Amino acid sequence: MPTVLVIAARDDWPTDRVVKTLDERGATVFRMDAAEFPEEAGLAARIDDSHGWAGGVVTSHRELDLADVSACYFRTPHPFRFAEGMSDAERRFAAAQARAGFGGILTALDCRWVSHPSAMSRAEYKPYQLAAARECGLTLPPTLITNRPDAVQAFAGDIPGTIICKPVASPVFIEGDQLKAVYTRVLTEDDLGDLTGMETTAHLFQAWVDKAYEVRLTMAGDRPFAAEVHSDTKAGYTDWRSDYKSLTYKPTAPPPDVIERVRALMHRLELRFGALDFVVSPAGEWTFLEVNPCGQWDWIQHATGHPIAEGIADELLGVTE
Amino acid sequence: MIPVAHPREAFPLSPEGGRIPHSSEQPSGPDTRPWVLRFAVLPDSARATALPPALYDEDRQISVGVDTDLLPYMQTHSPTIPDGSPANPPPLDEGPKD
Ligand SMILES: Nc1ncnc2c1ncn2[C@@H]1O[C@H](COP(=O)(O)OP(=O)(O)OP(=O)(O)O)[C@@H](O)[C@H]1O
Ligand SMILES: [Mg+2]
Repeated sequence: MPTVLVIAARDDWPTDRVVKTLDERGATVFRMDAAEFPEEAGLAARIDDSHGWAGGVVTSHRELDLADVSACYFRTPHPFRFAEGMSDAERRFAAAQARAGFGGILTALDCRWVSHPSAMSRAEYKPYQLAAARECGLTLPPTLITNRPDAVQAFAGDIPGTIICKPVASPVFIEGDQLKAVYTRVLTEDDLGDLTGMETTAHLFQAWVDKAYEVRLTMAGDRPFAAEVHSDTKAGYTDWRSDYKSLTYKPTAPPPDVIERVRALMHRLELRFGALDFVVSPAGEWTFLEVNPCGQWDWIQHATGHPIAEGIADELLGVTE
Repeated sequence: MIPVAHPREAFPLSPEGGRIPHSSEQPSGPDTRPWVLRFAVLPDSARATALPPALYDEDRQISVGVDTDLLPYMQTHSPTIPDGSPANPPPLDEGPKD
């Protein structure tokens, strides 16, 4: 029986919405978290000259035959969990074996993926996304990545307006037992006057894009679900993630050429789900900022009524409009 | 065999010990601290969303509420906002990144 395999953290509640939708459509779902392997889930699979990988996964509640998997939904599962008594060295060894063994068997599945984990990892890199978006004809802000103060000064001189700085990778970290975040910073003359520490690592600078509002465009397969994001505070206007409380949302329809280019981008990145950020200028031009291969979407569904969970379920079931 | 890439990349999982590695260390000096970190802020904990208690239902394969028929996913729709507590890190929009 065709089965949708869901590999996700158990406490990822938006995944519940997808599971429930699949269930209501009569699909068979096998949900598991990587944390269940190896203690609560058994794996056995064989390959030889006459057959590809055959076998399955069994838990105390259900059994999965790899041959039945028609689609797989992948959503940051928790790490594998090993026996309490293991030493650190054993645990590291076991984790690498589990990734290559359990992860290797699953990622070898030739089925519909939303999205394939390797594609998701690759697409996490902002420089790669920007290059791909440009190739697909999307408009992007002039961008500099550097650890050289002189390159920052030169960039600031070349850009007619304001420039911003934002992290190239994860913006959150824990230091001094406190969680901290680095949001998008509109740079002042003073900021640019002291570039001590620039050499320590890669930094991303970008031209500030003149902003009427922003758009979060969620793609489920080829289907676009776009929401205008408006903010009435300075913090929210600069970086909407810094002031969620100030935000209002409105469903919108992207211009057809933007949709075409976004579909091309998704195709190029081999993603079947993505949460994209755009800035829309007062003149109505759309500028691409980024695509999140594993972006949150549930609050957009709630705020706009866009049937995103249904869109993801359609994609998993191979339903096309 | 010396792997060329971290094997997590082909099968991304949230990192061991939580999404964001914990540290008690204080900032180093200006010469060694990444420049952009001078703009780091503590997110406002007043904005954090309290999550309703939930249990995982093995049969339905979703989380269910405690003392209520409402399913947990129907009760929270806010984006997970960083509340400054290292015990409650946000997913933000990140996927499996370093
Ligand atoms: N060039 C820019 N011009 C205007 N606003 C910007 C620009 N770059 C970023 N922003 C603002 O900052 C927000 C965050 O930037 P962006 O989406 O590029 O990265 P990010 O969300 O930090 O990435 P990540 O997914 O790694 O957390 C945007 O949604 C937007 O509000
Ligand atoms: Mg973003």
